[in-house]
Amino acid sequence: MLDRNGTKAADLVYWMECDRLPDGGFADSYLILSRESLHIFRSSGISKEKTFSGYAAGRHKDTGKLVQDGSVDWAWERIPLERLEALTIVNLVASGMVVAKEQEERVIGAFTSGHMKQAVRFAQAFDKMKKNEPIEAFEQDEEAHGASCPTCGLIYPEEGRPFCPKCMKRHAVFARLLSFAGKYKLSIFFIVLFMLLNSVTGLVIPYFQGTVLFDQALAGNGAFAGRIGLVIVIILAFRTLSLLFGILFGTIIAKLAAKVAFDLKTAVFTALQRLSLDFFMRRQTGHLMTRVNNDAQELQYFFVDGLSYFIVNAMNIIGITAVLLWMDWRLTLICLLPMPLVLWLVRSAFPKLWRLSWRRHRKVSVLNSIISDSVRGSRVVKAFGKEKVEISRFQRSNNAFSVAEQRFNKLSGTVFPILNFLTQAGGILIWAFGGWYVMQGQMSFGTVLTFVNYMMMLYGPIQFMNNIVGWWSNCMAAAQRIFEIQDAVPDVAERPGAVTLPAMKGDIEVDNVTFGYEPNKPILKQVSLRARPGQMIGIVGHSGAGKSTLVNLVSRLYDVTEGEIRIDGVNVKDLSTASLRRHIGIVSQDVYVFSGSIAENIAYADPDCSVEDILHAAKIANAHDFIEKLPDGYDTEVGTGGYSLSGGEKQRLSIARAVLHNPKVLILDEATASLDTETELYIQQALDSLVKGRTTIAIAHRLSTLRQADYLVVMDKGVVVEAGTHEELMATEGIYRELVRKHDEALRMKGEIIA
Amino acid sequence: MRMEEHRGMELADAAGIRYLTPGNSEFMETSGRMLSVRTGGEMHSPVYVHCSFPHTNQRSFLSIRTAGNKEIGMIRHLDDFPQGTASLIERQMKIRYFTPEITKVIAVSEEFGYSYWEVATTAGLCRFTVRNGSGNVKFAAENRLLITDVDGNRFVIPQVDQLSDKEYRMIEMRM
Repeated sequence: MLDRNGTKAADLVYWMECDRLPDGGFADSYLILSRESLHIFRSSGISKEKTFSGYAAGRHKDTGKLVQDGSVDWAWERIPLERLEALTIVNLVASGMVVAKEQEERVIGAFTSGHMKQAVRFAQAFDKMKKNEPIEAFEQDEEAHGASCPTCGLIYPEEGRPFCPKCMKRHAVFARLLSFAGKYKLSIFFIVLFMLLNSVTGLVIPYFQGTVLFDQALAGNGAFAGRIGLVIVIILAFRTLSLLFGILFGTIIAKLAAKVAFDLKTAVFTALQRLSLDFFMRRQTGHLMTRVNNDAQELQYFFVDGLSYFIVNAMNIIGITAVLLWMDWRLTLICLLPMPLVLWLVRSAFPKLWRLSWRRHRKVSVLNSIISDSVRGSRVVKAFGKEKVEISRFQRSNNAFSVAEQRFNKLSGTVFPILNFLTQAGGILIWAFGGWYVMQGQMSFGTVLTFVNYMMMLYGPIQFMNNIVGWWSNCMAAAQRIFEIQDAVPDVAERPGAVTLPAMKGDIEVDNVTFGYEPNKPILKQVSLRARPGQMIGIVGHSGAGKSTLVNLVSRLYDVTEGEIRIDGVNVKDLSTASLRRHIGIVSQDVYVFSGSIAENIAYADPDCSVEDILHAAKIANAHDFIEKLPDGYDTEVGTGGYSLSGGEKQRLSIARAVLHNPKVLILDEATASLDTETELYIQQALDSLVKGRTTIAIAHRLSTLRQADYLVVMDKGVVVEAGTHEELMATEGIYRELVRKHDEALRMKGEIIA
Repeated sequence: MRMEEHRGMELADAAGIRYLTPGNSEFMETSGRMLSVRTGGEMHSPVYVHCSFPHTNQRSFLSIRTAGNKEIGMIRHLDDFPQGTASLIERQMKIRYFTPEITKVIAVSEEFGYSYWEVATTAGLCRFTVRNGSGNVKFAAENRLLITDVDGNRFVIPQVDQLSDKEYRMIEMRM
């Protein structure tokens, strides 16, 4: 179509799809950027249907793509680039739009949020062309545009993650799980073997209890005529054997269970540790803990109970049914008579029961959150005197829960007894027909008894199979979640052949860095700064200016979107993670204290250091004195359940940690923000001794802490707005001067209040 | 009551929100079909309309903001403005809060942590994928169900109690 309008494919730079109309509704249009102009193609019609990414392509034909369809009319508009001043992407709620500026702004396209990434790149390509910067050759990665599973055609539900839940279900998950089990092949083999022996020995018993005991021993017929003692001994022997095999497989299972759980938890935990910070920030801690614990538990069931019991129960069902049919096929069919009724009841009542239990579960979580809210927020509740409101809030949801609970119990209280009755009805029918056979002399009493006993043995395995669907899907979901963590690729990964720096000078260059956690929401815009070895750089600015983000990039907790960060002239992306971590230390506002002794906490960076080192580090960090005052000194247990340290004490511990770590580059991220003035003084002294001989990047709210910085950088909304020494900045009428003025005012006010 | 009023006045003074009325502002559509406003002798173009209560009250307390997220002023009630202006502003709201309303749930199936929805909406038939858990299907207000798909697209069921039993059963387990 472009050819028709006189533009060659080679001139194309970038294109993007816009799929919605500003006024509502879906319609396709395409924006195409060529060397000279911006082309806009708009389809004339409104799409009646829209399939969003992720929805299995196989479920329906994708009618959203009308581009090859010749029957749709396309309106074409061309804007020469020289007439275009700017092209911006505006974030809307769950969508976005492209605004072009000629003399005036106008919307040239709107798109749903799946196209956001593409749109941002489109705007970037335009900017680069405007500035006559080179652009990478025309490459539109298909991946960003909804890649799909090569096997089944399902669009990957998550962008950039080639993962197809549909195909994973069929082969991958199960195969992978089995590969886990491979390690325990021998144990599983023995478990199955002993289980089979257990049920075979068990299967013999009803025959002796029924046919042999009544028809031979008691009736005085056959090989066992009158030898009741022998029959009882045989029954006892088989019972004992069965018990023995049961104990054997039980102990093996117990051992295996612990081993599998251990292996799985280690695997998940190791996989977790390898991932980048971003992964943890995006997910709730609770969810991750559930994964390590519950999912591993779930999979443990799979190996230990599920797999082996499935094999044995399947064989039991086949075996018992075969025996029953062989004994009397008519009676077998009769006892199966209530089966259709049972199946029908299960089919119709269970989904409803499941739904009711789901509802109950939801209500109970609401109730729990109210309880935890009002307990944890009890200070607020008391302060506002809202106890009564809380009580009535609780009452309401308690009531809702009670209703849901009653409904569930009513239904389950009805369904299960009926099911019980129906399954037992099979037994009753056998007694009826069997009794009739016995009276007619067609069958012996012992045979009927044997028959009934066998039938009873069938219930257990059948019930197991009934639950297997739910169990199976739970397992697979857990496995999928665990494999997801194992497969997750760390966003910040070490490049193969990364450079290791044995020693670092600490020369930091931040060169034109742009970064955002999400597309089109840049936190940092073209930030540049330079810290020479041994210098201290202060970064100031309002909260949300991007200060912490900047230091996170320097230590490569995240990767820059554009630009480069170099340490000693090497791009941080080319440095090995080990050397980055070795030479960069962070002291931040929120200090985490691990469970363990104070000494262990200080020695976190280097557990093999000498006791003297720990003492010296604590002394330098001004922590030594408070630690000595504690009854347990350096052995004091801190962290969860231990002695609770104050904010200032924790901070000094973390400084001691950094001293021991002895990094060449030190990052102080609001290290003193949460402390009172006096404590800050201590910490400041500690920090002063810490920064000597290191390149330091310090972020601080309190400007007083930064007065000795060699160089100050003022940031605002992700941009460096001012830079220079304290004196230089004070000489200009800028943001910094204003900040200092406000800061002094705040200090004065504080002084007045205290006075 | 008088105290309440007094408190209200105090809060309003302290907050210093600038309310736009037909008397102190003039809304216009630019030639590029965007919204501009002239108020306090200044012209702002383009401006965007943000709802303070997008789920519970879409016609009141609208914040008029620039692309740089600076508030020009607030509109107390859309109905205070003449029809023409109100519909201009409403069009901008439609652009910003593009959320197809689900009129009929046709099918919802679940597979491995994702549910696949096929629904009729005010914008036509839509098929989308929702990740289970993490609040992707939740009540945004009483009786108003907000559904967010894997790409962050939003769909809404404006009145859950208007669904048929069959439809409700399909979505209940997804909440």
